[in-house]
Amino acid sequence: MPFLILLIKASLIYGGLLVTAAVMTLAERKISARIQLRIGPNRVGPGGVLQPLADGVKFILKEEITPDGANKGIFRLAPIMAAVPAMLTVAVIPFAGETVIFGLDFGLLSLTDLDIGLLFVLAFSGLSVYGVILGGWASNSKYSLLGGLRASAQMVSYELSLIMTALTVVALSGSMDLREIVEVQNTGNPLAWNCFTPVVGQVGLVLFVIATFAETNRHPFDFAECEPELVGGFHTEYSSMKFALFFLGEYCAMTVMACLTTVLFLGGYSVPFWEDAPWMVELATFMAKTSFFLFLFIWVRWTLPRFRYDQLMNLGWKVFLPIALANLLLAGAFISLT
Amino acid sequence: MVVVQRRELTFWERMYLPEIVRGLVITFKKMFEPRVTRQYPEQAMPTTAVTRGQPRLTVKDDGNIACVSCGLCEAACPAYAITIDGKETDRFIEREPERFDIDMLRCILCGFCEEACPKEAIFMSNELELANTTREGLVYDMEQLKRSTSTLQPRIDYVRKINDRW
Amino acid sequence: MVDLLFYVAAALCVLCALGVVVSANPVQSVLMLLGSFVGISLIYLLAGFQFLAAIQILVYGGAIMVLFLFVVMLLNQGDPAVLASEQGLLSKAQLAGGLAVAGSALALLLAAVVRTEIPRPIFGYLWPEGGLDPLVGMAQAMFGPYVLAFEGASVLLLTTAVGVMTLAKRQRTKPSVKAAPLSSTTEGSP
Repeated sequence: MPFLILLIKASLIYGGLLVTAAVMTLAERKISARIQLRIGPNRVGPGGVLQPLADGVKFILKEEITPDGANKGIFRLAPIMAAVPAMLTVAVIPFAGETVIFGLDFGLLSLTDLDIGLLFVLAFSGLSVYGVILGGWASNSKYSLLGGLRASAQMVSYELSLIMTALTVVALSGSMDLREIVEVQNTGNPLAWNCFTPVVGQVGLVLFVIATFAETNRHPFDFAECEPELVGGFHTEYSSMKFALFFLGEYCAMTVMACLTTVLFLGGYSVPFWEDAPWMVELATFMAKTSFFLFLFIWVRWTLPRFRYDQLMNLGWKVFLPIALANLLLAGAFISLT
Repeated sequence: MVVVQRRELTFWERMYLPEIVRGLVITFKKMFEPRVTRQYPEQAMPTTAVTRGQPRLTVKDDGNIACVSCGLCEAACPAYAITIDGKETDRFIEREPERFDIDMLRCILCGFCEEACPKEAIFMSNELELANTTREGLVYDMEQLKRSTSTLQPRIDYVRKINDRW
Repeated sequence: MVDLLFYVAAALCVLCALGVVVSANPVQSVLMLLGSFVGISLIYLLAGFQFLAAIQILVYGGAIMVLFLFVVMLLNQGDPAVLASEQGLLSKAQLAGGLAVAGSALALLLAAVVRTEIPRPIFGYLWPEGGLDPLVGMAQAMFGPYVLAFEGASVLLLTTAVGVMTLAKRQRTKPSVKAAPLSSTTEGSP
C-alpha cells in the first residue's frame, strides 16, 4: 500500500508544518513578552496555549474587505501565491532516516528525495516573492505598492547571497540531494557537520542565516511591512482569511528555512555520537536543531531595530555577495586540499 | 541649532555582528528577569482612602440608610446624575429616600455629593469598575448603591480627617 | 498518465502564451508568462530533466519575471480607455496582413511537427533507473567539451548587460546625492 503510506506521510508532514506555524505565532508573542518583561497571552486555555486556535477562529469570522479599485483577480491570487510555495518546499526536507511506525515501514521520513532537492527549495521560495509584490500592486494603495516593491527588490537581492552560500554546502557535500547532504554529515561525529568546517562553515552559516532573515521578510529586514512608514506594507488592505494566508505563508517560510539551515549546516537529523539512531531520536534531534533557528528568528526580531533601506541594499550587494563569493572560492580551496 | 556630536564607532562596532550578539545576549538575559505585568481583574491595583471612586450610600449598623433625602447632593451634583425622591418614616429620623438613583454614565466622580452631605450618607468608595451592556443598567438604584459602614470606613475616616481642618 | 500530464502542461503553456498577447493589463500579461514558464518547467520535468525544470523556475520564474513585474509596475501605464482606442486604430488591411503572416507561420510549424517522426514513448525517461537527473553528465558536458561555448555565452551576456547600461545611461546633470555617513555630525532642532 505505498499510496496509503505516502498519504499518511504527507498528512503527517503537512500537519506538522501547520502546527509548527501555529505554535510559532504563539511563541512569537510569548517570547516577545518575556523579553519585554511581560506575560503575553494567557487567557485562552492553560497558559494561553490555545491562543492560535482562537486567532484562527477570529480570522475566519472577520469581514472580508476588497478595496474599491483593486484588481480583484490578482488581489485574490496574491495570498495563495504567498502561502503555497512555502508549503510546497517542505516536501523535500528529510526529517529522519528509516522510519517504522507500528510495524508499518514508512521508508525514509520525507515526502520525496529529489536529486535537486536544494534547488527545488530555493526555486519555490523564490516564487513566494510574487505573493508580496502582487498583493502590494493589486491593493491599489500607495503604501501597499511601496511595500511590495521594496520587498521584491530585497528578496531578489538576498536570494543571490542565499544561493551562493547554499552552493558552498553543495560543493562541500558534493550533492544537491538534501538527504545526501545530511548523510555526508551523519558520521556520528558532530565535527563532520558543515558548520564545523574551518572558516567556510562558520562564515557560511552566518551568511545563510542572515540571508534567510531577508528572504522571509523578517526583522531586521521586514521592509515589506515596515509598520511605522507603510502601515502594514503589502498586506495593509488585506483582512480576514486572506491576511491569515499571508501570515501562514510567512511562518511556513520561516519553518522551512529553519529546517533548511539545519539540513545544510547542522547535519540535519544526525545525532551526535550515535550514527544509527532510531528514527524517533533522529526526528527529535532534527526538531531540536530546527527549534533553535526558529527561536533565533523571534529572538532577533525582538532585539534589533529595522535597517534603513539603503543600508539593506548596501549590505546585500557590497558586503554579502562578495563575502559569499569569497567563501565559495575558499570552499573550493578547502575541498581540493582535503 | 543643536549640533549632535556622534561618537566615532570602533572597528568591532562597525562589524555589526559582535554588537548584534551583545544585543542578543542582553535580550536573552531579560527573559529570565521577573515580569512586571499585573493580571488586572485578578490582581487589582491596591486602592487607598484617597481613591475617589464611584459614590456609594452608607447603611448604618442598625440596618437603616443614613440618607435623609435632604437633596443637597442632588443640588451639588454638577452633572445632574443624582435623582432623589423622599418619604416619611416612623423612626426618630423622619425621612429617608424612597428612590435614590445615580446615573453612573453621568457621574464624573467629582466628590461634590460627598462634600455636600450633612449626614455622612454618601461617600466616594474605592469601586472603580463600571461595565454593562445597556445604558439603563448603569443607572444604579438605591439597592445597588448601599454599602455597609465598615466597607466604607477608611474613606469615612479620611473625610473626617480632612473636614477637621476647618 | 504521463501523456495526460503532458497535455495539461502543454495546454497551460499555449493558453498562457495566448493570454500574454491578449490580456489588456500588462501585469496580467506578466503573470500569464509566469504560468507559461511553469508549464514549460513541467514539460522538462516530464521529460526527466529535473535540473532544467528547477532552473527554469528559479531563474525565469523567481528572478527575471520579478524584474519584468517591477518594470511594468513602475511604468506609467496610461489610461486604459486611450490605450484601447489606440488599439482600435489598426486598419482592416493591417489586421488581414498580420493574420496572414501569423497563419502561414502556424501552418509551417504544424507541417513541420506533423512531418517530424517523434519516437513514441517520448517520456520514457520518467523515473529512469539509477537516479533521475543526468545532472552529472550535464555538468561534465558543460564544463568539459562545451566549456568554451559556455564561457562565451556568459561573456556575451555580460557584454550585453554593460552595453545596455552604457546606452541607457543618460547624461548626469546633477551630481548624485550621497547619503551622509553615520558617524558624521548631524544638524537638526531638538
